[in-house]
Amino acid sequence: MKQFGWLFFAFLSTFSGMAQEADTVEDYSMYGEAELAGGAKRFCTSKVFDLSPNKLISVGYDFQGGYRGDFGNQGTIQSQSTNIQSNSGLRLAANVPVISKTNILLNLGANYWENFYSFSEANLTHPLAQSLAKYGLRTIGLSFTLFKPINEKKFFLVNGSFDLNGNYSFSNFQSLNSTKISGVAVYGWKKHDRLMYGFGAARTFRVGETNYLPVFLYNYTFPSRKWGVEALLPARAALRRTFSARTLGFFGYELEGNSYLVRNLSNEFPNTFNSVELRRSELRIRFTFEQSIKDFIWLSLQAGLRYNYRFNVDEKEFFRGFGDEAYLFENSLANSLYVNFSINLVSP
Amino acid sequence: MKKALLLLFILISVKSGSLLAQSESDALLGVWESGSGKARVKIDKVSDKFFGKIVWLKEPNNEEGKPKVDKNNPEEKLRTAPLLGYRMLKDFTYKGEKTWEDGTIYDPENGSTYSCTIKMTDDNTLEVRGFIGVSLFGRTDVWKRIQLKKK
Repeated sequence: MKQFGWLFFAFLSTFSGMAQEADTVEDYSMYGEAELAGGAKRFCTSKVFDLSPNKLISVGYDFQGGYRGDFGNQGTIQSQSTNIQSNSGLRLAANVPVISKTNILLNLGANYWENFYSFSEANLTHPLAQSLAKYGLRTIGLSFTLFKPINEKKFFLVNGSFDLNGNYSFSNFQSLNSTKISGVAVYGWKKHDRLMYGFGAARTFRVGETNYLPVFLYNYTFPSRKWGVEALLPARAALRRTFSARTLGFFGYELEGNSYLVRNLSNEFPNTFNSVELRRSELRIRFTFEQSIKDFIWLSLQAGLRYNYRFNVDEKEFFRGFGDEAYLFENSLANSLYVNFSINLVSP
Repeated sequence: MKKALLLLFILISVKSGSLLAQSESDALLGVWESGSGKARVKIDKVSDKFFGKIVWLKEPNNEEGKPKVDKNNPEEKLRTAPLLGYRMLKDFTYKGEKTWEDGTIYDPENGSTYSCTIKMTDDNTLEVRGFIGVSLFGRTDVWKRIQLKKK
């Protein structure tokens, strides 16, 4: 019996040594004098202080108030001026990090936008107005964003988007061959935790049709941490006011646009046109207010002026470049006020 | 005597297995630098759970030159607590295969607390994944072990 007692004592005593000591007052200065074990490299991160949070999931609604629309003539197509009471639609998006390491970050995204037009006049004669009233416009897109830091100061940023734009419905989908591919590549520098910038090039449809542009990335937070700038010129720029970590305000603009395949779904257009390409581009000058309403759920409210830059139609998709090919017909939309609100799940 | 030896053998086997598991689980102990390089966190063990506190900040002072406090904490009474020494990792338990789960991570940048798992990919590297509800809605930060310089 004695043997058992001794064995148990020996066994238990080994575990008693595992008990951890309670926290004691510690000299933290020793932790400043340190280096990464195993010779690991440090890399710059993709954010500066107080940058607006990445939205994992976004459910939103976009609404433009009334405005005048002048639809142009072409051949047997007569022009028509009409009032558009509103155009509006859902905007859903997801953007999830799938690789998240110090030396590479990869986000994959998907989005669905719709835009339905409500006209004042019941008697629409212009084929584009008829199509917009009946089918609206939709976009379904997939995207990726790759951030590749080279070291603590330099990085690459690549973004690609694949958008299916048109007057399709889910029961009458359009060919994937009409997918619009756009992208941007930036080589940048992260000077410190409040400043990153870079130069690059983009293939974009933001002006409504294929375009190749130089781009400039600039994210900066002022030393006070109350103000900042978030910009990818010329696509968008905003002055940010950080009221708190959970309340942000912005004033800025975004150039928004794409090219839409508008099919002749119910003979709105003359038989000579199976489809046309609508080149839509608008400048949105806006105020945005974002706030965490509960933990990771953020509300975003946006209001501003929608300035129409282009709403013309080409017979087919092509790269206009520096050429001066005429549009099939030209349309003009008056400017309007717009609001956009969304509920967002933001990333850690 | 045979019974005693058998019991001793069983106890030694159990203990050596347990020590091996303990050795694996305790691999998490030490000082780690976050992916951004803005903070270093010392991970300790209390009972069977692991906790991590901030022991170094790249920018330890606020814009007024005073030590940073947890100003974004949703609980008002905690907003004056100094960030240095703040327990940002809590309640991790070792689940085997170099993985610690069931813990939380606190982000002082926005005052949010996330569910969190930690996976050790090599002796000096942790993948710290903070997430909301399910792991898909999260972000992984890679932390590197810090070696203190001998004075």
